[in-house]
Amino acid sequence: MSADIKAVRNIGISAHIDSGKTTLTERILFYTQKIHAIHDVKGKDGVGATMDSMELEKERGITIASAATYCQWKDHEINIIDTPGHVDFTIEVERSLRVLDGAVLVLCSVGGVQSQSITVDQQMKRYKVPCLAFVNKCDRSGANPFRVIGQLREKLGHNAVAVQIPIGLEAKHEGVVDLINMKAIWFDGDNGEDVRIDEIPAELLEEANQRREELLDAASMFSDELTELILDEQEVSGQLLLSAIRKGVLTREITPVFMGSAYKNKGVQPLLDAVNQLLPSPPEVENQALDLANDEAPVILSSSEKDPLVALAFKLEDGQYGQLTYVRVYQGSMEKGDTMINVRTGKKVKIGRLVKMHSDQMEDLNRIPTGHIGALFGVDCASGDTFANPGIELAMTSMHVPEPVISLSITPKDNKSEVNMSKALNRFTKEDPTFRTHVSKETNETIIEGMGELHLEVYVERMFREYKADVETGKPRVAYRETITRKAEFNYTHKKQTGGAGQFGRIAGYIEPVSETDFEFVNKVTGGSIPTQFIPACEKGFRACMAKGPKMEFPVTGVRVLINDGAAHSVDSSEMAFQAAARGAFRDVYHRAKAVIHEPIMKVVVETPNEFQGAVMGLLNQRRGMIVGAQDEGPMCAIEAQVPLAEMFGFSTVLRSSTQGKAQFTMEFSVYKQVPKSIEEELVKKAAEEKKNVA
Amino acid sequence: MLRKDLIYRNPLRVMGDRSDDILPEGGFGAVLARAGLGKTALLVQLALDSLLQNKHVLHISLDDPVKKVCLWYEEVFKNISIQYDVKQMNELWESILPGRLIMTFNVDSFSVPKLDERLTDLTEQNIIHPKMMLIDGLPFAETDRKTLEDLKALAKSHGMHVWFTVTTHRHEASDGNGMPHPLSDVEDLFEVAFQLQPDGKQIHVAALKGGMASAAPTLLLDPSTMLINETDDAQKSSNSK
Repeated sequence: MSADIKAVRNIGISAHIDSGKTTLTERILFYTQKIHAIHDVKGKDGVGATMDSMELEKERGITIASAATYCQWKDHEINIIDTPGHVDFTIEVERSLRVLDGAVLVLCSVGGVQSQSITVDQQMKRYKVPCLAFVNKCDRSGANPFRVIGQLREKLGHNAVAVQIPIGLEAKHEGVVDLINMKAIWFDGDNGEDVRIDEIPAELLEEANQRREELLDAASMFSDELTELILDEQEVSGQLLLSAIRKGVLTREITPVFMGSAYKNKGVQPLLDAVNQLLPSPPEVENQALDLANDEAPVILSSSEKDPLVALAFKLEDGQYGQLTYVRVYQGSMEKGDTMINVRTGKKVKIGRLVKMHSDQMEDLNRIPTGHIGALFGVDCASGDTFANPGIELAMTSMHVPEPVISLSITPKDNKSEVNMSKALNRFTKEDPTFRTHVSKETNETIIEGMGELHLEVYVERMFREYKADVETGKPRVAYRETITRKAEFNYTHKKQTGGAGQFGRIAGYIEPVSETDFEFVNKVTGGSIPTQFIPACEKGFRACMAKGPKMEFPVTGVRVLINDGAAHSVDSSEMAFQAAARGAFRDVYHRAKAVIHEPIMKVVVETPNEFQGAVMGLLNQRRGMIVGAQDEGPMCAIEAQVPLAEMFGFSTVLRSSTQGKAQFTMEFSVYKQVPKSIEEELVKKAAEEKKNVA
Repeated sequence: MLRKDLIYRNPLRVMGDRSDDILPEGGFGAVLARAGLGKTALLVQLALDSLLQNKHVLHISLDDPVKKVCLWYEEVFKNISIQYDVKQMNELWESILPGRLIMTFNVDSFSVPKLDERLTDLTEQNIIHPKMMLIDGLPFAETDRKTLEDLKALAKSHGMHVWFTVTTHRHEASDGNGMPHPLSDVEDLFEVAFQLQPDGKQIHVAALKGGMASAAPTLLLDPSTMLINETDDAQKSSNSK
């Protein structure tokens, strides 16, 4: 592993589905001699590309889970995180973007900037990932890299500049002209492995000069020295130009555009050079951790070997030797045999085997230094966990896990699926803290819970694909809740004194709404009207009622129970009798306390091109949404709204169809709010019908 | 305190007629002050007053993101409810929120035709029918008369009145009528203009044009809560009535 941290690049290659990202990765691995034969994505040899190791990916020709791999190119070590290109797997994309220092945005020279490129670009913007663009598929008919550059500027708002021009396009695509050094580059040999640098062909010279002017103009923003040379009309050296571009790239103020065709083996090596020369090394990127001792205040990490270890587990994989955990070390180093702490659980973890991954193959290591990516064997942890030296309380991701808001019942179709399903659920709950599962006590069905419809759908699909667990799903259910809105008094006697052992207990007091907690029990009984030994039984009785509200059988929250009087019988009173009295009292008083249903309200943010702003607002409004605001962000705008979760089913499909697939949305739980009367009536009606059907 | 009382007790009433809005349809009002004196806070109070009367408000901000504008509202509302001891603050808040919509624009991309398009989208789809529009952060020095005239026509056609914030600068002298520089050329378009003037520890709300009559009690802006208060004298006089 490279000792010099400045020679490390952690990069992602992300793009629209089918713009040739996996092919490009495959070529990179070939040229860096990590693999010795090229397999294509949908190849005839049945092997599939090296990075696509998951069955589903090979079948569909897409990459779902990000595999990490590393390679070396001219003294630099490059870790490549292959990020998913499909819109429904953005959780994975976001997680991998966290560990990247730079990225290559791959675009198709025909398709240009498509909606997924927009999504991915926005995520990169959020995490401030510096990037290069690579216009791929210049050999396809209809290729026009300069149109793509125009789209990068208009649609994504990048300051995109060509640093290459193609030598021929479509079937005649042979190589590229490097505008920085003003040389032509050809790719000879069967697999384009011999790079031949030559003079620029005469017919391209004029265009090359003109494009170089544009490049100089854009780069001069970042270097005074360069500006002076241009003003004095002196020759600008490639090195100077490169360093000016680099400054712009690091601050995301310029996006140099490279071109070629990975499939035809053109332009990949210059792109690798650019990764070394232009993208940042780990110390050049500012990484933040959250200080748990200080209310999750952000802390900047040092990227220094000498500081204590902070590392993030960003991906789990089930291999044949057990769980493989991909980690990125942000500070300090991880050494074999050392002990570290899993910050989330506080448990000590002994570092056993450390490896460096190349998709399915691996190489053993003794340590993972700062800024590097590696994998651990035999460590029990969840994805997103932070590892640190004992005594360090820093976390890379927030510890606050929101409560799930939607649930779905799943039933395995056969025995084999049942076994596989439990394996899959075990794994997924580790990967994703917001995904939970339990078995319903009443129906004996397995219930999965999560943060949204799509969230659960993805897991059901993965269960089938990765674990061959074929399950039937029930209808998604919103996690409604009940609560009371006013104070009401009760005075209830539970009496059963006819035949057998008698039961007696009287209990009096009131219930009232409370906002800070879910349930509170206050004992104000004086004079022993209820003997002390029966008080816990009273509490237990009330608490038992909270699980299922008398109104609609949803969990009850926000109730304070205060008891101040009661009566007991010397023989017939028992714990059971008081529990029953408490239950009876609650049922009795509940309706008088004006019970209402609460539903989860989601904060929905839709990012859409400006022309669809009106349409999107309409969509949100139809869904009982309250629009908070619309924010202008250049060509796009972000609309923020508060929408009940129950109305959000199927929203992604509707949104896509009414915005030509150009809008995307994020949804997160915001608050529980009272359901309007009309909707509540509907719910009651529906529940009654369901009950009838069951009966 | 009930919603109705809160509307009535609002000292903002003093700025205009006690029963009605200060501005007519298509009317322009301006709040002038140097940076940091509380222009936005005053605007937000005007908006909350309108919201309490079930009149929708469109808040356009040219420098702050939506999140920050929301915070302004939360903060001012919280202060109001503390000051007037509003019970069931949450319910009141919930009930007025649907009537508010915040829109932010980059200063360069703000234009009247664009605003018109957005506004038509909103009203046609029945999302919101604003009676009041707030424009916070419009750079008056760079805005021509035509834009303001177009805005006025737009406001009139949608039946709204508009409040602006205008940032003044210490070094700019006001014209003969006491109207600070940015407004002096377009003064005739504005029905009402107030200026926030720091005076020791207090901030006075002074009428430059229209609004409260010259004999009306002076209003103060409490620097800690940014809320409008009547001066002690004014309170005494209104109590004695």
